[in-house]
Amino acid sequence: MTPILRTIDLEKTYHKGSIDIPVLRGVTLDVNEGEFVTVAGRSGSGKSTLLNLIGGLDTATAGRIVVRGADLSEMDRRDLALHRRHTVGMIFQSFNLIASRTALENVTLALAFGEHPRSDRKSRAAEILSRVGLADRIDHTPGELSGGEAQRVAIARALANSPDILLADEPTGNLDSRTSEEIAALLRSLNDEERVTVIMVTHDEAMADAVSDRVLRLLDGRFVEEQTGGGAP
Amino acid sequence: MKFGDLFQLSLENLWRTKLRSALTTLGVVIGIGVLVSMVSFGTGVQKNVTQGFLDNDLFTRLEVIPAKINLDDVMSGNIGDIEIPDEDTPPLDDEVVEKIRALPGVEVAFPEIRFPVRLKLGEREARTHLRAMPASMGAFKPFSEIAYGRFFESDGEGSIILSQKLLRNLKINLSDDDAPPPPTGWEPDEEMASLPSDSLIGREVEIFTSVLDQKGLARAFMMGVPPSPSRMPLREETVTLTVVGIQTTPGSFVSDRLQSGVLVPTETANGIPRLGFTSIWEVLGRDADAGGYPSLYVRVGAIQDLEPVREAIEEMGFGVIAIGDQLEEFKEDFLIMDALLGAVGIVALIVASLGIINTMVTSILERTREIGIMKAIGGSETDIRLIFFVEAATVGVLGGIFGLALGWGVTRLANVIANSYIRPAGVAPVDFFYVPVWLILGALAFAVLVSLLAGVYPAMRAARVDPVKALRHD
Repeated sequence: MTPILRTIDLEKTYHKGSIDIPVLRGVTLDVNEGEFVTVAGRSGSGKSTLLNLIGGLDTATAGRIVVRGADLSEMDRRDLALHRRHTVGMIFQSFNLIASRTALENVTLALAFGEHPRSDRKSRAAEILSRVGLADRIDHTPGELSGGEAQRVAIARALANSPDILLADEPTGNLDSRTSEEIAALLRSLNDEERVTVIMVTHDEAMADAVSDRVLRLLDGRFVEEQTGGGAP
Repeated sequence: MKFGDLFQLSLENLWRTKLRSALTTLGVVIGIGVLVSMVSFGTGVQKNVTQGFLDNDLFTRLEVIPAKINLDDVMSGNIGDIEIPDEDTPPLDDEVVEKIRALPGVEVAFPEIRFPVRLKLGEREARTHLRAMPASMGAFKPFSEIAYGRFFESDGEGSIILSQKLLRNLKINLSDDDAPPPPTGWEPDEEMASLPSDSLIGREVEIFTSVLDQKGLARAFMMGVPPSPSRMPLREETVTLTVVGIQTTPGSFVSDRLQSGVLVPTETANGIPRLGFTSIWEVLGRDADAGGYPSLYVRVGAIQDLEPVREAIEEMGFGVIAIGDQLEEFKEDFLIMDALLGAVGIVALIVASLGIINTMVTSILERTREIGIMKAIGGSETDIRLIFFVEAATVGVLGGIFGLALGWGVTRLANVIANSYIRPAGVAPVDFFYVPVWLILGALAFAVLVSLLAGVYPAMRAARVDPVKALRHD
């Protein structure tokens, strides 16, 4: 089985003045289609950077990322935008919703970027929002939503353009434990039912263990451990 | 992203910051308003002057003189270079008039005859200038528009057309409802009569001209005393003519002397005895006895006929003066005036464009995170750039439209105020401003162009926002 995602000796070094700060030091990872993979690690271990590289928001210093046979290092900025638009969907710890737009409008904006036909954007957005359990909150702005509801909107937005891979960067970091469990369960059910590949980054190892097929531990920019998660079939 | 969506998104963004968008747009409104009112004043003046030229036939009129003169020399006072006609210069006689009439494009050609006269209407008397005019000129402005009565029907009829200015000199005010009001300072007194025009038409006037008294001159020389200016050997001749018409609108480019003058049919005028030497051309040219006229009036059918006719006449060895020549110079002057007036508006627009840049840059700083989000969900740099570009252009379009409205309002108001100062002088209301279509379209295009230019830097900057930094959760 060919993996849907493959990173090969991925390196990322940030430059602060004359000082080089290596964040990723040769990360190699294969993720199969439909897998739920969690990257766990302490703050500063490089896990968010890895996700940003896979998401095409940032570019690697060395190494390659191949998604469905396409090499991100060979893509120009326009291709990377298309990659973010159609191949991956991202969710963040701080939700990153547009505060002035309602839940529905946040999702339709993603559909507009995806050049989804204008006529059924609203129905499509409403459909995804009800899939994540927000059918009755679609006309509320992020300020009127709880953290868990906001993250559900973010998940709906990430799924809007039917991506192959959902990239979740500390999706439960800003949520209480009960809501965290709900969000983790939602991601797991999306992975099970919609067959969307999920790559999650978290420092909550218990949750990681509970929902993932596979948990990889990142320390100082390298994978140090891999184990099968509790969510594995 | 499709352009329709980009456009909608931009409008939503502008609407979100209504006050700031409105103030930024107001800057453009004022800039365009100033530009439009300034330039429309320039074009208004230009139009009024050009229309004045047209109304007075200055573009289709030539004056033929016996000598070729460089008009610039005369204007600059360099009279020494003027070529005094010698024996080789052909006289401006009837043969020449016929030849000129035969030239293609020429509609009317006749000798200019003007001389001073004293005019008596009843007991009222005034000095004025008589100008001979063929009946054929009745087809053209301003003679086609005689305010009261009619123009001449034949060149030999014993009629005369008076001007309203002359009537004023005669202390007669036209009491007709449609007559122009008297000028400021016109005080009715015992001498002044207010009469309707139809009481004047049909009346007889006496024309007095001075002629040289040959006997008196001979006597003066025989006595060895040169005639002193106070005792010139002159005597007066009288001719009686019937008033057929009254002119009220002499036009803006006619000298005061002609405005207060009278018109008499050509042959009738030729029959009036008079002194020679009434114009410089008569001095330079030959006198009427030698069979030449001091100058000819030539009218061409269209502006484009002017040059070929002028060349043909110059080839015959005569000089031509066309006031229309001055138009090119006028045009240059107008261009400079428009440029200066436009510069004020452009400065205002530059200030407005800085306002746009400032607003957009502030907006980018505020919306950095939003830009990051848009990139994360698939917005390309082109999309982001276009969103900011369309926002800037929208400010430009709205600013342009409302600026046009403002400029129009300002010019209307200024026109009313200016006219209220001028009207008491008896001048019909003048539109000082003119907003041609090119100014409307140009101002709109300029507003959009300036706004787009102002949007370039902010849009580039927005497109280059690093999504990782923008989304960093802090």
